[in-house]
Amino acid sequence: MKKNLIKTGLLALTLIGVPFACADRLDIMPFQSQASDVGLKTESDLVGTLIGAYDGLQATASYGGDIMLLSDIWANRAHLRFRGTFAGLQQVAFITATSTSSVITTDNAWATNMWANAYRTINIANLVLENLSLSEGAVRPTNTVRGEALFIRGSLYFELARLYGKTWQDGDPNQNLAVPLVLTSTPFEENKLTDANLPARATVAAVYAQAKADLTTASTLLPNSNLYYASKWAAFAQLSRIALMQGDYPAALAASDQVIQSGVYSLAPAFNDLWFNFINFGGVAPKEYVFYMRMTQQDGTNGLNTYYGQTVSSIPGTAGRGDLDVQAAFRDLHETADVRRGYFTITNRRLTNKHLDRFGHVPVIRLSEMYLTRAEANFRLVSTIGDTPLNDINRVRNRVGLANLAVLDLSGILRERSLELAFEGHRLHDIKRTQGVTLGTSATTPNGPAWNSPKLILPIPLREIEVNSKLVQNEGYQ
Amino acid sequence: MKKFLLLCFSFAFVLSAWAQERVITGKVTSSEDGSTLPGVNVVVKGTTIGSVTDADGKYSLGVPSSGANLVFSFIGLKTSEIAIGERSIIDIQLTPDVTQLAEVVVTGFGSQLRPDLTGNIASVKAKDIAFVPLPSIDAILQGNAAGVYVNSQSGKLGQAVSVRVRGNSSISASNEPLYVVDGIPITTGSQSNFGGATNPLVDLNPNDIESLEILKDASAGAIYGARAANGVILITTKKGKAGKTQVTFNYQTGFSESSRRVPFSNSEQYATLLLEGAKYLDDRNGVPTTDPGSDTQFLSGPGEFFDYNSYGQWATDTTKTYDWQDVVFQKGSYNQADIQFSGGNEKTKFFASGQYLKQGGIIIGNELERMTGRLNVDQKVSDWLSIGMNMNFARTYNRRLPDDNAFSNPLQSVALPPITPSRDPNTGLPVGTPPGDIGIPIYYNPQITVDYSKFAQESFRNFSSTYANAKLLPGLTFQTEFGLDVLSQTEEGYFQSQTRRNQTRATRGLGTNRSTFILNYNTNNYFNYTKKFGKSDLNATVGMQYQQSSTRTSFTEGLDFPSDSYQKIASAATISGGSSTETQFRFLSYFARANYKFADKYLLTLSGRIDGSSRFGANNRYGFFPAASAGWILSEEGFLKGIEVISFLKVRSSYGIVGNAEIGNFPQLGLFTGDASYVGIGGQRPSQIGNPNLRWETNKQFDVGIDFGFFNNRLTGEIDYYNRRSEDLLLNTNLASTTGFNSVTRNLGSLENQGIEIVLNTQNFVGAFKWNTSFNFAANRGRVLNINGQIITGGIGQLPNRVMEGSNIGVFFAPEYAGVDPANGDALFYRNSVNPDGTIDRSTVNNANYGQAQRTVVGDPNPDYVMGLTNTFSYKGIDLSVLFSAVLGNDISIYGLGQYSSANAIFEDNQTADQMARWQNPGDITRVPQARYYAGNGNQASSRFIVDGSFVRLRNVSLGYTLPKSLLNRVKLDRVRIYVTGQNLALFTSYPLWDPEVNADSFDSNIAKGNDFYTPPQPRTILFGINIGL
Repeated sequence: MKKNLIKTGLLALTLIGVPFACADRLDIMPFQSQASDVGLKTESDLVGTLIGAYDGLQATASYGGDIMLLSDIWANRAHLRFRGTFAGLQQVAFITATSTSSVITTDNAWATNMWANAYRTINIANLVLENLSLSEGAVRPTNTVRGEALFIRGSLYFELARLYGKTWQDGDPNQNLAVPLVLTSTPFEENKLTDANLPARATVAAVYAQAKADLTTASTLLPNSNLYYASKWAAFAQLSRIALMQGDYPAALAASDQVIQSGVYSLAPAFNDLWFNFINFGGVAPKEYVFYMRMTQQDGTNGLNTYYGQTVSSIPGTAGRGDLDVQAAFRDLHETADVRRGYFTITNRRLTNKHLDRFGHVPVIRLSEMYLTRAEANFRLVSTIGDTPLNDINRVRNRVGLANLAVLDLSGILRERSLELAFEGHRLHDIKRTQGVTLGTSATTPNGPAWNSPKLILPIPLREIEVNSKLVQNEGYQ
Repeated sequence: MKKFLLLCFSFAFVLSAWAQERVITGKVTSSEDGSTLPGVNVVVKGTTIGSVTDADGKYSLGVPSSGANLVFSFIGLKTSEIAIGERSIIDIQLTPDVTQLAEVVVTGFGSQLRPDLTGNIASVKAKDIAFVPLPSIDAILQGNAAGVYVNSQSGKLGQAVSVRVRGNSSISASNEPLYVVDGIPITTGSQSNFGGATNPLVDLNPNDIESLEILKDASAGAIYGARAANGVILITTKKGKAGKTQVTFNYQTGFSESSRRVPFSNSEQYATLLLEGAKYLDDRNGVPTTDPGSDTQFLSGPGEFFDYNSYGQWATDTTKTYDWQDVVFQKGSYNQADIQFSGGNEKTKFFASGQYLKQGGIIIGNELERMTGRLNVDQKVSDWLSIGMNMNFARTYNRRLPDDNAFSNPLQSVALPPITPSRDPNTGLPVGTPPGDIGIPIYYNPQITVDYSKFAQESFRNFSSTYANAKLLPGLTFQTEFGLDVLSQTEEGYFQSQTRRNQTRATRGLGTNRSTFILNYNTNNYFNYTKKFGKSDLNATVGMQYQQSSTRTSFTEGLDFPSDSYQKIASAATISGGSSTETQFRFLSYFARANYKFADKYLLTLSGRIDGSSRFGANNRYGFFPAASAGWILSEEGFLKGIEVISFLKVRSSYGIVGNAEIGNFPQLGLFTGDASYVGIGGQRPSQIGNPNLRWETNKQFDVGIDFGFFNNRLTGEIDYYNRRSEDLLLNTNLASTTGFNSVTRNLGSLENQGIEIVLNTQNFVGAFKWNTSFNFAANRGRVLNINGQIITGGIGQLPNRVMEGSNIGVFFAPEYAGVDPANGDALFYRNSVNPDGTIDRSTVNNANYGQAQRTVVGDPNPDYVMGLTNTFSYKGIDLSVLFSAVLGNDISIYGLGQYSSANAIFEDNQTADQMARWQNPGDITRVPQARYYAGNGNQASSRFIVDGSFVRLRNVSLGYTLPKSLLNRVKLDRVRIYVTGQNLALFTSYPLWDPEVNADSFDSNIAKGNDFYTPPQPRTILFGINIGL
């Protein structure tokens, strides 16, 4: 009996004692994640981080769709009727010049998410740029890695500047505020965050300058072609957009001409070949896409499809909420012979065929835009660098079954641009840079806000203002 | 050695033979009802000679020849001492020990008699919850324990339930209590990946449970230290009793249905509202309503919206109405069979049970099936060692419904136009099913998902625990326990091509398969020491606990099936998704507790626990959680002894610190996560900012209470006041998004709950007609004291639940609705801005200037009062029990449905019938603004959509009849009871939608409570049952 007691006592003490010896069992590491101090140590880690930045860029809140979506639905009810129920988009879609029945609230989900996702992606790009010393050029050339990170950062700063700040021509860009410029990565430890992690808004000019600098450097580093990643020409194309927004036509001309002259891209023979990438082409992108966000069945959500698309019984592989109903007034802007006039599917909506494919890619820049930009810049500068404006416009027209024009004026160029690039994210910015007026609810007498209205600028997200007192709210939301 | 042992045995034999001079036999019965009492200890006073009564209450004992006394003792009964004298047969009746109230309360690593408790522990016993037609034990608790607020949240089967003990203690960490089954902390977090959170407690058969103890204050909880801040629910399963094997068979069957319907517009009303709204828009836009481009024509023109969505019927009949609630609600079935065996002898005792439950939901497509088996065995190996094992196996199958915020949620059908038939007239299939037009109805028809897809969760669960208990020295025992909780779950879904409008990738079928495997094991090792010296009683416990839980998941998704006949991913042409993950947490803890009692009057308990966890920063890995409590049994004092009225009176108080660590795994680390691939190339992203100083959230609790019994304990009760203060909250604090991160977990802020709890139990009649009443009441006030001015929101974006200093967690924050301008039908909102003199500007702004109306607290989803009232009656063989529960003073946001369906026809959604009261002409006085199609007029988030959620519910009524013994003896049955049970028979509330016991699963979080988003109501269930004892 006594022996048993002793044995049991020993057992008991052992059972209690063992875990004492195993106190380090509490040191466990996560499985799908890497501690920040070991996660970025090799070239593979670096390239993996760069891919993470592309992933951020591909998100619906950025080039996955929303950046383009807002530009087309903003105060454009007469041409593109929003029939969805998302309050955040409704606020943007139903704005008119006078009525205040629809206003964008400062907690608008699109304004909030677009901002957050852009900076999430910029932080990744900054991490890549700070850790280039890890690159040995074996997995991916160092210059390419650097160029891509700069391309991503520059592109996002440009988009942020024109969505959250005043248009370049509106007042003084050296005074007007755009968004904060964050050019270094955020520390991974809470106690290392400082006041510098609560930045104020930089001026429109400063953000444009940063975007331009990033993209210019990128254009010198990136290769001619780079699979479905950013190429040298994608950087030039972005520079042409920046220049156009600034009214810097020589720069826009030079950059767009570079892209065209590269010979890497070509116009798709038929307009329909540009779309239904997955349904008709098994995911092969047309050679006209200069830069696009690639979608597969495994990865990515085509955010334009989400709202413009709808499940059409007769076309398997289509999907979407069917929120955007193209109005007859817009269709009627096309000439009768125009292929694009019939490029719609009628359900209980008039849907553009551009974004019906569930797994279609999201084009960011197409070559035809470069022709339209070059034509406009040449026309404005009365030059014929690359080709005559008339030839460039006719190229775009011929492809959609339209005859050559004999004479050309600026409004013709802009109209062609608006028809060719409809629902691809250009409309609002073209109105702003040409100082026009949005349609609002009327197709005949535009009653939308004018180009420089504060209603055409997103609010600084409420949550950001609440955590960072240095952020000043935009004029329309104070 | 062998010889020595032999010698010992012989000696012992001789010794006992010498001692046993004569044999006493007898029978022990209860003085209450004359029933025999098995398991009573019978000891010859002052010796170790003793025995235990058998199943028939009989004993037999050899006693020394002269002058001894026999002592009969049994827990809960008065110990009785009788001189043997010359008798050889001694029968005795034992009386219940009323002064002791005698209830044994499980306290965690031990137990105590209720009168000796100094902490606050609520108990619910098996008989209070037997055969209630609810599948999970937490839902059954509702109304049965003071200070425990249970919200079933949804009428979907097996869905997560919210349980709050004494309010919300945390903002970012969990607020759910810790559940411990037979000493093992079990996995209770939802593992659902579709259709909202589920409740893993469903895997536990409630009828296997002997008792539930809810440790509410710090003194009771401190033994669970860092995990006790939200209360601890100790679940003890049934044990066998020595004696004849008892066999109980129970079968119940019945049906359930939605208890209420919400009135919606008919087709005429619907069209009237929409056309009124369209006319407003056309007038504003200066477009004649006859213009083909007008909104009026868009709706009512030939072949346009009304015609299109009614298959042309509207052109000829504008009144034909289809009530979509008829389509989605169904009569659910309920069938349950239970069998239980309980028995054993002095050495071996067992309890075994089996259950089969099958339940059909009140919403189409919802089903739950459960099978459980249990075997609990306790074995006395020797006089110093006993061992035992509890083993439970369960399989739960749940055919799930989509989450509330999905177009495929069946109840979202109510938004569909009443002009649209539920069947496509051309195909006879549910409207919108291919090959018919899938663009009708205006939104996806959820019935297609029910008919052409399936999403099922099937879980296999094994709770097992073993123990060994050794008596080392007099008063000193050692207990070691090892337990496992294995949860193995698969979720399998297949969406046929017919669902493609909703499952947009299901063009050629979409199959998903996810498995989750959780291995959670735990060991407890502790000493217990009991010593009586003089007037002092000491009970001390010291030990350790180690828990490790690992969760592994894998997921596969496939597209492009040859046809819908193939539904396994083996046939998918495209594997579109796949994943595997793992996560772990570990706890290592040491605990100690001492209960000291002096002169049966003065009580003191000290306890403490040191907890270490893998979840905390290297700099703060361990935390210490002490508590102290004291009690004074006044009724034992001389000055009260003589007062007949007072049977029992005790005051007690406790103070202590407990913690909360339920924040998810690895919150302290700065991390990259490798989930950022881009089209086929792996990528990583910074996913978390680390905090090496992260430590436990602490909860400081004070409790003072009084326990009383009057009139020979015919009236007993408890009254408690408590104050709980959570500090160093584990708070997800917002970061500027410009950092690339949204938030970081910090120890920041504090909040407070204080409240009163009252429990009253009365025996109103005690004769042949018995009537007992128990009542519990709790009032809690919660308040966030400090969150560093942060704004934390959850729930529905535009009308969020918010955490704000000075308010309870999750208050609704929106502009205040001011009704309708009689002049023009504009919705009005109070400006509520602060004037320069500090007063509030109560002027109004109209709809157009909505942005100028300041947001303010317009509601609180937390109840002020929670109550339960049970009355039980019995007369001869008839028994009746009636449970009412009440939740008062909480608000609910109906904005989820309201912004579309109670929004004076802003969209094409059908409108609740109350929208017909809309403003039409100048001078109209109403709360419903003018209908304005696609032009918001009061549909914005505001207090218009915040309603009172108070309710009183007749939760359970059970009426039974036990057949008389005389009848049963003939058929050799012990007991037969037939009964009928009604669950949720009546609901008293002003709530406008289906059910105020609600919280939308799509938004559910600590903060997001009280949101209704087309959420299915609680079922009203009626069951007929029979209970047979063999």
